[in-house]
Amino acid sequence: MGAGGKWVDRDSDPVVRPYALTGGRTEPADGAMLDLIAIIVDAGLPADPDDQLTLSPEHRRILKLCQRPATLADVASDTGLPVGVVRVLLADLIQQGRVKVLPGRAAGEQPSAQLLREVLHGLRAL
Amino acid sequence: MGSGLSDTGAEGPLAAFKILIAGGFGAGKTTLVSAISEVRPLRTEEVLTSVSVNHDDLQGVENKTTTTVAMDFGRITLGGRRVLYLFGTPGQERFWFMWDDLSYGALGAVVLADTRRLADCFASVDYFEKRGLTFVVAINCFDGAHRYDPAEVQAALELGPRVPVVLCDAREPESVKGVLVTLVEHVLASMPGESYGTRPAPAAPPLV
Repeated sequence: MGAGGKWVDRDSDPVVRPYALTGGRTEPADGAMLDLIAIIVDAGLPADPDDQLTLSPEHRRILKLCQRPATLADVASDTGLPVGVVRVLLADLIQQGRVKVLPGRAAGEQPSAQLLREVLHGLRAL
Repeated sequence: MGSGLSDTGAEGPLAAFKILIAGGFGAGKTTLVSAISEVRPLRTEEVLTSVSVNHDDLQGVENKTTTTVAMDFGRITLGGRRVLYLFGTPGQERFWFMWDDLSYGALGAVVLADTRRLADCFASVDYFEKRGLTFVVAINCFDGAHRYDPAEVQAALELGPRVPVVLCDAREPESVKGVLVTLVEHVLASMPGESYGTRPAPAAPPLV
């Protein structure tokens, strides 16, 4: 993970293979696959002075984006990082207690009729 | 955060929904998504499976084990911090391994059909039928495209009578909104125990 800072210029796109940013890991540390629309948010831990040392620039970018609730798809699009890479990096932040997943529907569960009616009303009101 | 959500403090989605937009290459998926929402790129870096290995020319790059897939996604913010995400599914069959991830927990899907190349959407229809994901077929009425009756398309795709087939113009926001409304109505009507829509009430359980 420490290698991320050496290889990626702040202003440029990554020039390394995407999974180099995760230290070669392609699976999230906790083994759980976050849904594309799982909502995550900064858990509000006080800033750690060691963050500069312990977190890669990509971790810090993601943490910043999560100051407001955002979905995995939002974070991947905003950072320009591939979804699989963001999944791995987010899992690190979740394991460290810095980011939490908002309670929602159980993974893979379809929305309830009540929620669907709200979506329908929202769409019609567009 | 540049994500299009309102900037009033700690806002952000409280509930998120996803709809897949499927269809053959050039059927108008990107156009449809951009008609109703801001389109943003989403990259995935997929580990190559044996299925796709045969399709990617790996000569000279034999160590390459991942491949980048770009897709579009759009976001529609509804009231009450409910956000609807539209994902344009990569059309090529070699990306099917991604569809499971995309369709997981999805509200439903829109199969966008180009009647000039109707066969292009067979694969999507098959996939959603097998997967049990509720879908509607939207016929994109391109300029100059031969107009087919929705009933003809329904027959050609061998769809069940309950699957809605609608005409649309993927460039028109109102038209796209109509397609999405049709889908959500269809999903509601298909829910067990739902009396929404025209679905007949379920038969009374047998007395034991």
